[in-house]
Amino acid sequence: METALRIENLSKSYQRKIRKPGIWGSVQNLFSAESEEIHAVQNLSFTIQRGERVGLIGENGAGKSTTLKMLTGILVPTKGTIEVLGRIPWKERRQLALNIGVVFGQRPQLLWDIPVRETFELLKTMYRIPPAVYDVVYKEAVKRLNLDPLLGTPVRHLSLGQRMRCDLAAALLHAPAVAFLDEPTIGLDLSVKEQVREFITDIQAKFGVTILITTHDLKDITETCDRLLLLDKGKLLFDGSIKAFEQKYASDRRIVAELHKAVDEAAILQLKKDAAALGGTVIEAEGHRIIVEHHEEGAAPGLIQLLLKQFQVVDINLEKADIETIVTRIYRQPESE
Amino acid sequence: MKPLAPPLTFQENADGYLSFLNRALKANFAYKGSTLIGLLTAALTYGITLLVWSHVYGQRGSTLSIAPQEMFAYLALAFCLNYALTINIDQRVGQRIRLGLIATDLLKPLDFQTSQAMQALSDCLFNGLIGAFVYLIAFLVLGDSVLPKSPAAFALFLLSLFLAFVIQYSLVFIFIQGAFYTYSGYGIMTSRLALHQTFSGLQAPLTLYPLVLRHIGDWLPFQHIIFTPITIYMGKAEGLEAWRLLGAQSLWALGLYTAGHFIMRKALFQLEIQGG
Repeated sequence: METALRIENLSKSYQRKIRKPGIWGSVQNLFSAESEEIHAVQNLSFTIQRGERVGLIGENGAGKSTTLKMLTGILVPTKGTIEVLGRIPWKERRQLALNIGVVFGQRPQLLWDIPVRETFELLKTMYRIPPAVYDVVYKEAVKRLNLDPLLGTPVRHLSLGQRMRCDLAAALLHAPAVAFLDEPTIGLDLSVKEQVREFITDIQAKFGVTILITTHDLKDITETCDRLLLLDKGKLLFDGSIKAFEQKYASDRRIVAELHKAVDEAAILQLKKDAAALGGTVIEAEGHRIIVEHHEEGAAPGLIQLLLKQFQVVDINLEKADIETIVTRIYRQPESE
Repeated sequence: MKPLAPPLTFQENADGYLSFLNRALKANFAYKGSTLIGLLTAALTYGITLLVWSHVYGQRGSTLSIAPQEMFAYLALAFCLNYALTINIDQRVGQRIRLGLIATDLLKPLDFQTSQAMQALSDCLFNGLIGAFVYLIAFLVLGDSVLPKSPAAFALFLLSLFLAFVIQYSLVFIFIQGAFYTYSGYGIMTSRLALHQTFSGLQAPLTLYPLVLRHIGDWLPFQHIIFTPITIYMGKAEGLEAWRLLGAQSLWALGLYTAGHFIMRKALFQLEIQGG
């Protein structure tokens, strides 16, 4: 398989001025040269093959957007190797631009003062898009993203959601070999998010576009990607399939029992002892509810039997942490592994 | 899987830039109210300048080395030319650097400097209309004195005008690169404007300037934006002298455009995109 992107020991650092607060501080800032070094990305390495669909997640400031900007060639790495479609992005930015599509969720590429249709036509000439490709993507975008009523409107009159839909269409109009989508669903309502995901999946399937998405909405990842990269403070924490991610981080399952009567302390002490012997941990026992967590695959039946035997259970549920819960938990860890 | 796009040919590149120019012009025409105010302000400013100089000539006309008719013609032409060569890309690019929107401009398969030149050309074509409007008023008031000295002078003027455009654009482009370091284009824009207004010959023919200022101006490119083209247009420099001026303009145009290219390369190397 052909390699689409290759990053090796990539780092990006920059100087940020330390600004003092208050009006006097602002005056002092004029003469102060104090600055700190920010390490936005540190020794990052990964490879993506042509046609792969990859999600890049991480907290705000984890280095996602900086990585994307280096991949598109607008930022120069501090050190390390970076290659997109066999080219060094910051050295060959213009040639690479013909083969990549980029959405920066908060920075529209549409021309502000003219109707959307005119931007599309400009891009058609600028990227020399063959009619066969343009017609397919254009029709698909108009249909999937419901663009028909927007095409004649100057961009400055569009709402955020409308602009985002048009911007995504503009980025994929030339069916690029690689699409970098930085928060493509930011600020959109649920139904529009769904439309955006369907459009991305469709164009990806039709043209084999390699996709790298950064997002805070994990549904974007589960619905459009096969592979996940988790960044934390500029470093790569996880690289693998979504299933492998769940297996690694979502090994804990929970049994939630709703009781007829409120639990008493003696019964809880007994339960804690018995559950521990079966591989479970009581993590909550208050009022009418008990939650038992376990990590081993076959522990659930024994723990359920135990609960049914010791308490008058009115309802029982088995829960497995979803990807959102896992990611939130990882973000909340004071020091990442 | 779709094969990779091959490099664009010269023709395809040219089509892209022309298309960009076309869209830029449409964007210029998008604000009717602003255009109208621009026209009125231009007429008003020119009117006031005429009044001021009429007053000066009334008070001490005999001491000035330029006849009033010639002076008014010069000022009219300087005004028209200044409008025609008003390039707004510094405002636009400065704003885009400040907000981090420059990222999307750099992702286009066009050379940034050339595409901005197209934007500048669009500004000049659009602002040229305002210049033409002022010229029309001047012609109605001043008559033949605002016409070119001869067809040959006019032909050389057109060449000089093109070179003035390249110099003006390159200066705007070079100055705005400073915004990559300061993250705001305002101070840079005003410093360029101050130099332009002082040394281009917009306020008065440079021959009326104090010697010190004239010497400083000789070492700067600004005089070639307004003073030189008008000198050729009015037939004040003919034959060899006109060609010498065109030669000087060409050297400045080439030097500044090339400098803009290298300054941009350096600025992009340390680029930071504002707003994450």
